[in-house]
Amino acid sequence: MKPENNNINCDINCAKITDEMVDEFMESIWLIEERGKGHKGGRAALCAMAVDEGAVNNPVMAESVLAQIATDGYVTLDGEAVEFTPKGRERARHIIRRKRLAEKLLAEVLSVDAREIRTTACRFEHILSPEVTNSVCSFLGHPPTCPHGKPIPQGDCCKKLSHYVKPLVMPMTDLDPGSRGRIVFIAPKDHSRMDRLSSLGIVPGTEVSLHQKKPAFVIRIGETELALDTEIAGEIYVKELR
Amino acid sequence: MSAKGIKKLLLVGNPNVGKSVIFGHLTGKYATVSNYPGTTVELSIGNAAIKGEQYAVTDTPGVNSLLPMSEDEVVTRDILINEDFDSVLQVSDMKNLRRSLPITIQLAEMGVPFSMVLNMEDEANDAGIETDLSALAAKTGLDAVPTTATRRKGMGRLKEAAAAPRKSRLSVTYDKGIEDAAAMIEKMLPEARISRRSIALMILGGDRSLKGWLHAHLDDTAIDRLNAIVGETQAGYTQPLGYVINNERLKLVDSIVSACQTKAGGSSEGFSKTLGRVTMHPVWGVPILLGVLILMYEFVGVLGAGTMVDFMETVVFGELINPYAIKFFETALPVPILKDMFIGEYGIVTMALTYAIAIVFPITTTFFIAFGILEDSGYLPRLAIMLNKVFNLIGLNGKAVLPMVLGLGCSTMATLTTRILDTKKERIIVTLLLALGIPCSAQLGVIMGMLAGISAMGTVIWASVVVFVVLLVGYLSSKVIKGEPSDFVLELPPIRLPKLKNILMKTLGRIEWYVKEAVPLFILGTLLLFTADKLHLLVVIERAASPLIVGLLGLPSEATGAFLIGFLRRDYGAAGLFALQKQGMLDPVQVVVSLVVVTLFVPCIAQFFMTIKERGMGPAIAMVTFVLPFAILVGTVLNFGLRAMGVTLQ
Repeated sequence: MKPENNNINCDINCAKITDEMVDEFMESIWLIEERGKGHKGGRAALCAMAVDEGAVNNPVMAESVLAQIATDGYVTLDGEAVEFTPKGRERARHIIRRKRLAEKLLAEVLSVDAREIRTTACRFEHILSPEVTNSVCSFLGHPPTCPHGKPIPQGDCCKKLSHYVKPLVMPMTDLDPGSRGRIVFIAPKDHSRMDRLSSLGIVPGTEVSLHQKKPAFVIRIGETELALDTEIAGEIYVKELR
Repeated sequence: MSAKGIKKLLLVGNPNVGKSVIFGHLTGKYATVSNYPGTTVELSIGNAAIKGEQYAVTDTPGVNSLLPMSEDEVVTRDILINEDFDSVLQVSDMKNLRRSLPITIQLAEMGVPFSMVLNMEDEANDAGIETDLSALAAKTGLDAVPTTATRRKGMGRLKEAAAAPRKSRLSVTYDKGIEDAAAMIEKMLPEARISRRSIALMILGGDRSLKGWLHAHLDDTAIDRLNAIVGETQAGYTQPLGYVINNERLKLVDSIVSACQTKAGGSSEGFSKTLGRVTMHPVWGVPILLGVLILMYEFVGVLGAGTMVDFMETVVFGELINPYAIKFFETALPVPILKDMFIGEYGIVTMALTYAIAIVFPITTTFFIAFGILEDSGYLPRLAIMLNKVFNLIGLNGKAVLPMVLGLGCSTMATLTTRILDTKKERIIVTLLLALGIPCSAQLGVIMGMLAGISAMGTVIWASVVVFVVLLVGYLSSKVIKGEPSDFVLELPPIRLPKLKNILMKTLGRIEWYVKEAVPLFILGTLLLFTADKLHLLVVIERAASPLIVGLLGLPSEATGAFLIGFLRRDYGAAGLFALQKQGMLDPVQVVVSLVVVTLFVPCIAQFFMTIKERGMGPAIAMVTFVLPFAILVGTVLNFGLRAMGVTLQ
């Protein structure tokens, strides 16, 4: 990938249209469409938005990018109207999907703060390969929405599964009673808790079955049955076994 | 070998694997056995003849790791590190080898000679678990002996193994950073009973309980250097070193288990498993809990405190013993004062022995039988799950169920059992609540008897006030006493059918303990009352205490005597109130008020001494100083409250 900063700061004369710029434009068109105001007559608004978002650094540049993606067959331009071609819609869908999955990953799993999510997710949307995107999607349990509540477009991985699928790795509190899981990691509040759990045989790689969640968690490891507080159960992350 | 040609044998193993049962078979002595992890809080020592030689056998508290997490685990590790012994017998649960082998590895690392017993073979068979003993021997270098200790199966081979301990060849190679650090630390350590490498690994594992040992053997600069090594090593790992070390051990354990054990497919959900499930079910567990309580009440309250006490009191003492005793002392001791000492109003026979044997004995016996059944069935840990949330309110967790329920039998014993709790904070709160609001079975029996005589509302008021006060004080002390609440992680033993013999042995042991403790105090208390009465001191004290007893609590001044002996034993105090009620000197409101006060009243002398022993003099005195005025305060509020509301409880 080419570094994008060079392009953003580049003078209009030496402007080179990068994939990132195209992606940003596609994203903006998708967002305007999603807002539901009707994208017809949105050409000026789109260019203004592209400048605001920093995708390009002036309206002239915006126009030339727009012209380029029309030439590439992603959009059709009709006066003020900008409309996705089927090919363009598909590309935009993937961009949005990558971005929102990245936001979800950063927010839910890594607990990154909101501002950091925005800037990092913007970079992720350009670099995730389709395979990695689907893995992230499965890992997160094919989430329907991003952290801000907007829909995440479905990928192949979601469509293959007609029903809602649980994420690959989840805190034991999300496991249903009666199911089994393999411990993937333990994220305890303090170290002594980790030592105690490990002395009882609770370590990554161990298979557990969950018997009940109320009034306390009851799990079984081999021939050991243990009762745990909900709080501790929430720190034990498992991959469900079927 | 130690002095006098007696060898020393240690029993070591996870909690609830049957060490105490094996100890009993080896020594013929009874160590408390129950189906509850952590029953052994004190060391039991007994003698055994093994293969023609004399052994002193020590039963140690169960441990999950020799890197101690709780007070009882420290005890076991300290014995291994400090004491001279000739042989160690590791007792493990055959069906749960995965839990035992980490200890096996640690014993191997210590370089101590030991042998291994795989107990509970019957349960392993029932669970369809097959163990390849020769494969296990090949891996560990030890011949593990399969036993079913509760049926005495395999005890012969167990003795042979105990007499011929070996060093295990098990060893773990840890990550390079840990190995390097261990090697450095090892060089700085003095020669010890166990290998220096194992001590180095304990230090790296973050064992704070080792501090005392280190300070006894090393100077401060060396300890600083050790801490620096641990710190530097830890910096290279994101996870705590103890955890990293344990993980490596568990990898070896898992490889051994998969090579030696197979489980027949499809474990059957037997009746006991289903029962175990139901008893802790969020919905079904509640009626079961109530059912257990009702059964206990029927057995202890109705049969023990009612029928049996009546029989003992009216028939055995009233018609048989007392008339003869009176006749005997009247002829044998013509001196009136001596006669009164035995058979007068405050007589040793007519008061102390009647109370101790007629009232207390049937109640405690039935309670300990019921408690023994609960304990051995494995129900108590399930009860802990059901009550965990309630205990959370008062800064405790479900684990506190054991000392609290045992406290209903004998708070002194229960105070000793607080050792199974993980943090100092929890131990203080439970000790305080035991001293304050948990009535012991004898006292409870008398209380129930008195409450039966008045309106049922009286029982409701008494119970709600006591429960409210316990929860309130528990809640407040959990806020005041510093420290983090500990984690609720509790092992659940399988539900087992209690063995009659064990229940009887255990009940006998407890009753013996109780009688030895209670009867002398009863006699002492009676003598004190007798003396005070003869010197007319009782009247003086009654008059002095009258503003409190009569003014604040609204009780007749005669009740002072009952509270005075309440200092010796709470049940004795309650029994004094019982007598007043029988004489028609207490109206229903006075009954409730006096019972609330006597329930919350200071702990008995024995419990007070146990509190000093377990918590220290300062906290013990602080607790009593709090409890005494507090009990009177609650009684006062209740007295004026009930009177103001015009409650008569008729």
